[in-house]
Amino acid sequence: MFVTLAAVEAPEVPASYPAARPSAARRVRRALPPFLYLTPGLGCLAVWTYRPLAEAARLSFYSWNLLPSRPKVPVGLDNYADVLQLPQLRSSLWLTVTIIVCLLPFSVVLPTIVALLTQQVRGRANAVYRALVFAPVLVAPVASAAIWEWLLDPRHGGVDRLLGSPVNWLHERGPAQLAVIVITGWHLLGFAVLVVAAGLAGINDDYAAAAQLDGATRRQIIRWITLPLLSPTLVLLALMTVLLSGQLTFPLIDTLTQGGPGDATTNVYYLLWEYGFKSFNAGLAAAAGLVFFLGFGMVAGCLVWLFEKLSFHDN
Amino acid sequence: MSRIQIDGLTKCFSKVTAVDRVSLDINHGDFLVLLGPSGCGKSTLLRMIAGLIEPSSGRVLLDGRDVTFTPPRERDMAMVFQSYALYPHLTVERNIGFPLRSRRRPRAEIREKVREAAELLELADLLDRRPRQLSGGQRQRVAVGRALVRDPGAFLMDEPLSNLDAKLRTATRGQLRALHHRLGSTIVYVTHDQVEAMTMATRVAVLNAGRLEQVGSPTEVYDRPASAFVADFLGAPPMNLLPVRAESHSGRVRLFAPGIEVALWEAGDFPARDIVMGVRPEHLVTVPTTAESPMFRGRVETVENLGSEEVAQCAVGDATLLVRGPRPLGLRPGEQVAVDAAADRLHMFDQASGHRLRWRAPDVSPSPPASLSPPSSSPPSSPRAVFASRSARPV
Ligand SMILES: Nc1ncnc2c1ncn2[C@@H]1O[C@H](COP(=O)(O)OP(=O)(O)OP(=O)(O)O)[C@@H](O)[C@H]1O
Ligand SMILES: [Mg+2]
Repeated sequence: MFVTLAAVEAPEVPASYPAARPSAARRVRRALPPFLYLTPGLGCLAVWTYRPLAEAARLSFYSWNLLPSRPKVPVGLDNYADVLQLPQLRSSLWLTVTIIVCLLPFSVVLPTIVALLTQQVRGRANAVYRALVFAPVLVAPVASAAIWEWLLDPRHGGVDRLLGSPVNWLHERGPAQLAVIVITGWHLLGFAVLVVAAGLAGINDDYAAAAQLDGATRRQIIRWITLPLLSPTLVLLALMTVLLSGQLTFPLIDTLTQGGPGDATTNVYYLLWEYGFKSFNAGLAAAAGLVFFLGFGMVAGCLVWLFEKLSFHDN
Repeated sequence: MSRIQIDGLTKCFSKVTAVDRVSLDINHGDFLVLLGPSGCGKSTLLRMIAGLIEPSSGRVLLDGRDVTFTPPRERDMAMVFQSYALYPHLTVERNIGFPLRSRRRPRAEIREKVREAAELLELADLLDRRPRQLSGGQRQRVAVGRALVRDPGAFLMDEPLSNLDAKLRTATRGQLRALHHRLGSTIVYVTHDQVEAMTMATRVAVLNAGRLEQVGSPTEVYDRPASAFVADFLGAPPMNLLPVRAESHSGRVRLFAPGIEVALWEAGDFPARDIVMGVRPEHLVTVPTTAESPMFRGRVETVENLGSEEVAQCAVGDATLLVRGPRPLGLRPGEQVAVDAAADRLHMFDQASGHRLRWRAPDVSPSPPASLSPPSSSPPSSPRAVFASRSARPV
């Protein structure tokens, strides 16, 4: 007769192990440390970002001229209605979009070209060229604005002498806009080149090697392999351009043109600032700020979604 | 149709010489395995053949044409990378079709060829997936598919199986061998796994620290290792390598060391010298301790069970001797043991250079007898018989 030999038998598991679960207080104490570590960061965020945001939201429903002695008068949605009827709103929005679009070549296209061209440069030469490209990033915007003001001086400035044409850069509509865009781009370029170079370094060399053996030319490799794998980095740069164009252009506009001539260089950020701190219309500025906050939030959301979609989790 | 000739190929990185004057002639249809430990320069050599690394000196000839400075695109070779290097943003179909697409073939032809390759490699159901949605074995097959889709003159493979588990590796080895049979094309295959080398290669080239140690069929390399390094590298457990003194003793060649006493063929006087004697664990047999004159006497230290076989580790003098045989070996730790081997299973190597030694009886014949078989002609009586180290490789 055959008898089956048992394999390793699983022992009977009792319905509940006695006294294995730690007490509730103990579990809380164990789960606490990560949150404790997070408190300073969260605290700063709450105090410096979310509280002002909430304050601004509240302020947007009042009329107030920033004087502590004057009362805040609740006005409901009037501020929002005023924002949408502001005479300069359209032109400043349009200018904001123009600036962002015109900055993209400096933050995405040029850096990609520069990084691809200099990819082959190795060793010390590479460090030197990177330092050269990155240097403008280190110059404080206000300081560089002062230098550029001097360079852009009509007739005697370096730019006019170089071009040989007497353009009054900061006091004519088109040239003033161009100057703001180009100087911001000049600031941005070095940083963007570094970001693209880091993105390129993160792409495994084997892909290019494999593509070479598969018969692809250098251009095909760039078009079919490198750029698609670099696209998350490029989207990130575009996102940065959209979100930071305000911060980057503001000091230049404020120092060089003060939004002029006329309102030629008044973008929405500068407009907002003018209403809040020059016309002392805090409620209106807060309402405008919130409207732009939501608008840019949506644009950023789209770009983040695109970024996620383009990341291939290269392993 | 591809014959690859490598002529004195050298690659120096700033400090290390990764590949040192390697010459190889790879015939059309060869399955050549480049075998060696990690860091010995296998990948560097393969990448020089592919054209991805420019050699410091030396030449690469493809069908007699010098391609040393030809870009990889124009060498008719396909490579499977260790990382597979599948393009992560492309589907399996586009990955496999990439070599055709970059050559601007018509779309219909690409689809047809990709389908053929996918069917051959059983990938037909996976064509729409991205590489990250594939298992390791499937990725490996896609990489092979991308290599063979355009029917290249030669395949270069850099450890393509090292990311697979043991079972899949065995299966894939068989598939690659079958593929080689079917296509009949030249394959240069890099590995540090001797089992892959022994089972797949038609020829094996063993590299050590950038230098070529031996080239030959798997049998040759295993049975007649050209150096102590090759002897040690091939075989698991590796060959026993024991330092002994070789001298003339009452008209015979005698090798001895504590616990070792080997009497070989008759020979005249020759200068005594220290050499390294090698014998594979599976060629050793235990004999009764009462036996007349066993080659080795020692004490069993441990016995390892490999399932079908056992390996006993014995202390012989100061050295360790591994004995391998079918289970049960009948040995117990602590026992005294006597071990013997057939004389023609012994290998001898120079102590300094590690090169294989052979016996040369002077003034007997212009073509001396093979390695360790005793001289077939009349025993040499000349007092100047010597162990000669073959000039192992041309420099
Ligand atoms: N780009 C490089 N710069 C400097 N040294 C290098 C470079 N590439 C390889 N080496 C060195 O050359 C030697 C051979 O490297 P190689 O990659 O060919 O080894 P391998 O035999 O393929 O090893 P493994 O089996 O680990 O892949 C190593 O010592 C390595 O450190
Ligand atoms: Mg390698």
